[in-house]
Amino acid sequence: MDIIVNVFVTLLTFLYSVLNHDMVLAIVVFTIITRLLLYPLTAQSLRSSKAMQQLQPELKALQEKYKDDREKLAQEQMAMYRQYGINPLGGCLPMIIQMPIFFALYGAIQFALAASPTHLLDLSGRLLVPGLDNAIPLNASWLGMNLALPPNISESPIGFVLIGFIVVTTWMQMKLSMPPQPKLAPGEQPNAAAATSQSMTTIMPLMYVFFGLSFSIGVSIYIIATNVAMITQGLVSGQSKLSYLTGKRDDPATTPSVLTKVEGRKVSKNATPSKPKSISDGKNKPTTQKTGSKAK
Amino acid sequence: MKIVRLFRRLGIAAALLLVMLATACIPLPADPNWGHLSLAGDPQQILFAFHDRIVLINPIDGSVSQLRDPEGNPRYDDQNNPRQWSVQVTGGEQTRFYSTPLAGADNTLIAASYDKRLFEIDFPNARVISSDGIPVGGHIVTDPISDGERLYVGLSEGDLIALDMTDLASRVWTLETQRGVWSEPLLADGRLYVSSMDHNLYAIDAETGSEIWRLDLGGALSESPVLYEGNLYVGSFARKLFRISLDGQITAEYPTTEWIWGTPAIVDDTLYVGDAAGWVYALALSEDGFTPVWSRQVATRVIRATPIVTEDSVIVASRDHKIYWVSRNTGAAIFERNTDAEILANMLVIDSEDNPSLSEPLLIVSTMANDKLLFAYTLDQGDLRWRYAR
Repeated sequence: MDIIVNVFVTLLTFLYSVLNHDMVLAIVVFTIITRLLLYPLTAQSLRSSKAMQQLQPELKALQEKYKDDREKLAQEQMAMYRQYGINPLGGCLPMIIQMPIFFALYGAIQFALAASPTHLLDLSGRLLVPGLDNAIPLNASWLGMNLALPPNISESPIGFVLIGFIVVTTWMQMKLSMPPQPKLAPGEQPNAAAATSQSMTTIMPLMYVFFGLSFSIGVSIYIIATNVAMITQGLVSGQSKLSYLTGKRDDPATTPSVLTKVEGRKVSKNATPSKPKSISDGKNKPTTQKTGSKAK
Repeated sequence: MKIVRLFRRLGIAAALLLVMLATACIPLPADPNWGHLSLAGDPQQILFAFHDRIVLINPIDGSVSQLRDPEGNPRYDDQNNPRQWSVQVTGGEQTRFYSTPLAGADNTLIAASYDKRLFEIDFPNARVISSDGIPVGGHIVTDPISDGERLYVGLSEGDLIALDMTDLASRVWTLETQRGVWSEPLLADGRLYVSSMDHNLYAIDAETGSEIWRLDLGGALSESPVLYEGNLYVGSFARKLFRISLDGQITAEYPTTEWIWGTPAIVDDTLYVGDAAGWVYALALSEDGFTPVWSRQVATRVIRATPIVTEDSVIVASRDHKIYWVSRNTGAAIFERNTDAEILANMLVIDSEDNPSLSEPLLIVSTMANDKLLFAYTLDQGDLRWRYAR
């Protein structure tokens, strides 16, 4: 983890030194850079969410067909996911991968801003590029607040505004990354993965309130910038739509499908195709049942 | 339905786990600064300020000194418990002491607190005169100094302020800096030499606060300069040691491996200083500038404290938990002692001249761990005599 932190500290300090010693701007630019590097993961997450939504009619059909057999339903659902190459938790994986990056960035901001002698000591030896020492200590002051410390609501009401931005942008980012699910018919079971995702939409913004009050203001700015960058990415790439905020679903007639069936497994040269078997169906009439995967 | 509920609960549990993990991964906030050691009383005892307390330690055995009446008899409280010399300010905002208290008038001490206040302490009674303190407008991580008329206090966010010693609430003048003052000024011949984190060394008229000159040394200055034979010597985060004339000119410089945090020690025309990479430098001083005598990476982490120089050895302490005795002539290792705790504070030497009860000089070392705050070693052999824990 240390090497990641040191790289982040060096990059942050470099950006600070070239951006007119503006720490907030340095954090925002740093966020944009990390977002661009993580774009493949983020795009995958958005595609996964969209694919899940477009798969809903087929999933509903399965639920109807196997409503009395939960185990079979689960098996068929997983088979369908495999068929389309979808990971139902695909939206979570990018988040999980980003956690170490977030923790490293948190450490980097704390080290770089160094609110006290002890904290500044932790910064020595972390700058990987010679010459950046002359930027130390970084100017941690912004709008009357110390970027290295959590917001002090009693001293500055701007802290309230920051927390508010965190909550709103986190909620927007989550809503836009998860297309609305179809309305359930009476008695219909909600899709489990979708239900989990919806729960997270409620829980995550609340969690970030806690983060915002506990973490330094610099980290809060990173969170807000990250959310805005992800929202922008989704809208520009077409994976997200503003209509998702109001719960409006995509029109299946006009929305291009992102579902593509995964091609059948390749058959090795030595394998022999399985022969059709004749089995009895209990009425003394032979029934031919084809087995084996589809040939190319 | 049960599966749906299970998934939802798993989702909530995962979120809670995430919060716990995030909290666990957040490093616990360290003390913003380290303890400070000094001598006080007659005979001299060890005055130690760290975190929420200032205590007076008996150098003989490391116990907290007992209060005594003017006849020297021990004093007791209402429950017949011996009263100890320990000051802790309670109530209001949390008070933290990260600087050496200064002797004030009428047998008082002036203690600077991290929470932006000064406290006057009645020394014979170990009693804070007013628990409200005197607000000064900024965090204090460095020792205040005085010339008898004014008290000079560096504030960690910006300024150096001068207060009237007869009325500490009255500010006489203010020197504004961009990044704060983390070390006590050097007072010499009516001038203050102030190291600032804004990269500048300032020369200030002590009476009026007017700037005489300032010199940008290319890196933050976290410690006081030392004055030796008409020159100032100071290290900076520019990874350099500087010699500066009293009219503000750089007359020599020497490159170091890492940042220089501490004030150098100068003995017999040789300067000794450590850097943030654990290197120690011995540099002979001459008109030509710095001439290396030896340099060696003694420790594996920061050496911040000013080295102690004895007849045969140089003693340095590091954040790597160890105290090193090295040869004064060659820098070769003699022996080391491990405290199992980070050492960042300046060390203190106390001998029989300070306290006649001492049979041998002691090296007092302070760490940042509450269960092993002070160590007392014999100066030459490094034998542990006592430990103080809170």
